[in-house]
Amino acid sequence: MTAIAVNQFAQSITCHAWGPDNSMVAFCPNNNEVHIYRLSQDKWEKVHVLEKHDQIVSGIDWSPRSNRIVTASHDRNSYVWNLEGSEWVPTLVILRLNRAALCVQWSPKENKFAVGSGAKTVCICYYEQENNWWVSKLIRKRHDSSVTSVAWHPNNILLATTSADGKCRIFSTFIKGVDTKDSRTGPSSDSKFGEQIVQLDLSFSWAFGVKWSPSGSTLAYVGHNSMIYFVDEIGPSPLAQNVAFRDLPLRDVLFVSERMVIGVGFDCNPMVFAADERGIWSFIRFLGERKTISSGSKYGSQFSEAFGKLYGQSKHGLSNDAVEPSRSRGGIHDNCINCILPLRQSGISTVMRFSTSGLDGKVVIWDLENQADLSEYI
Amino acid sequence: MANTLRLYLTCIRNTLEAAMCLQNFPCQEVERHNKPEVELKTSPELLLNPVLICRNEAEKCLIETSINSLRISLKVKQADELENILTKKFLRFLSMRAEAFQVLRRKPVQDIDKEISELKMSVNTRGRLVATEFLKQFL
Repeated sequence: MTAIAVNQFAQSITCHAWGPDNSMVAFCPNNNEVHIYRLSQDKWEKVHVLEKHDQIVSGIDWSPRSNRIVTASHDRNSYVWNLEGSEWVPTLVILRLNRAALCVQWSPKENKFAVGSGAKTVCICYYEQENNWWVSKLIRKRHDSSVTSVAWHPNNILLATTSADGKCRIFSTFIKGVDTKDSRTGPSSDSKFGEQIVQLDLSFSWAFGVKWSPSGSTLAYVGHNSMIYFVDEIGPSPLAQNVAFRDLPLRDVLFVSERMVIGVGFDCNPMVFAADERGIWSFIRFLGERKTISSGSKYGSQFSEAFGKLYGQSKHGLSNDAVEPSRSRGGIHDNCINCILPLRQSGISTVMRFSTSGLDGKVVIWDLENQADLSEYI
Repeated sequence: MANTLRLYLTCIRNTLEAAMCLQNFPCQEVERHNKPEVELKTSPELLLNPVLICRNEAEKCLIETSINSLRISLKVKQADELENILTKKFLRFLSMRAEAFQVLRRKPVQDIDKEISELKMSVNTRGRLVATEFLKQFL
């Protein structure tokens, strides 16, 4: 059993983010608010409610070092929240978007953040000291559909985006005055803002959930056609691996280490992918236990009788085991998992714990400490 | 006969399990709106190929999916008047009692004559689990 904590916070959770010391969690309970809960004496209590957005909050990110929360919503706005005293004070960010914002992430140095939107653009926002506000620069004319997910490379310059047109693109987001030009080799030598470094056209269905590995050498993203893509050597000739699996598509991924990735999605169960010594990725197993859904109820007999009549069969109708029960699915989560985040402990680079949240309103914390068969990949 | 029915229903069940991977997706055409893309059809990249499952000439099931909604159209065998009446009563029951979903359209889709367009689900919350339970009993 690897799930060490299961917390039912709301009826449905859109996205969540952890505070700097992992004792506070912020999430959106599928409405226009952000709830912040703190763990005190083994119990979770609601400490703040951030109400500023008009529509559902689609992305939350909490920067660990500067302790700022950035939220993005379907109402085309984004707010940066600063903790002053005991209250969270919002600062509106003029994104200049004309469609919903779908995802948001702080850069590794926390001086910029990226917002992906339904306007087929990505906004990179940075803080301008002279005017005391957040300015946004748009990357336009590159995406053919909504930008579903963004991920920053550890060097704070490269940004990977996935879109509903099935493509994953990598851009340079070098901003003069914010980023320092240090000697770099390889693909990041193109330092113009908005320059597209590479476009990966591997999936014929929608792409979600892009993430970089801890060193930034590998990229992983998922396609809605039940495939996960691993790309090495980002540059003019990238090396891509496709891993197809039999189950329902994934929504998000997380790099636990350089060689292990956890994927979460419509199967309600985290999936473990790992690379062997040669660097070939494959599916290892599900992380949680699978639950069988019991069939049969009062409703069933009424329908099956009626159905039986329609098909001219006997009055006793079809018994429930005439049709095979649906495949066992899920375990801890009852509904689609759409967000997976690491729970970092200071000083340790690999992730031993991570949390998942889903449409069932649960936030589940998983631990990889006692998984003997997975320890070689960490 | 029961054998082909089971195969037909299993096929529909499996297709629906894959098709019901829906998510909340705001409209790309109109700001601040959230529309079922399977009805809108303005962004072709958000639609998947429709699947038609035929048991025989008289019984078919058309499933059209998009990123946030899906439409199921069922054509049920109506050999004689009695079955016709029963079908109408049964489907009236379904349309009215399907409180678990948000039934968005009760009229049949164009170009499919004599078909009975059933349900269109626009997902925002837990529609998927409920829908699976509901249709499992139906099928």
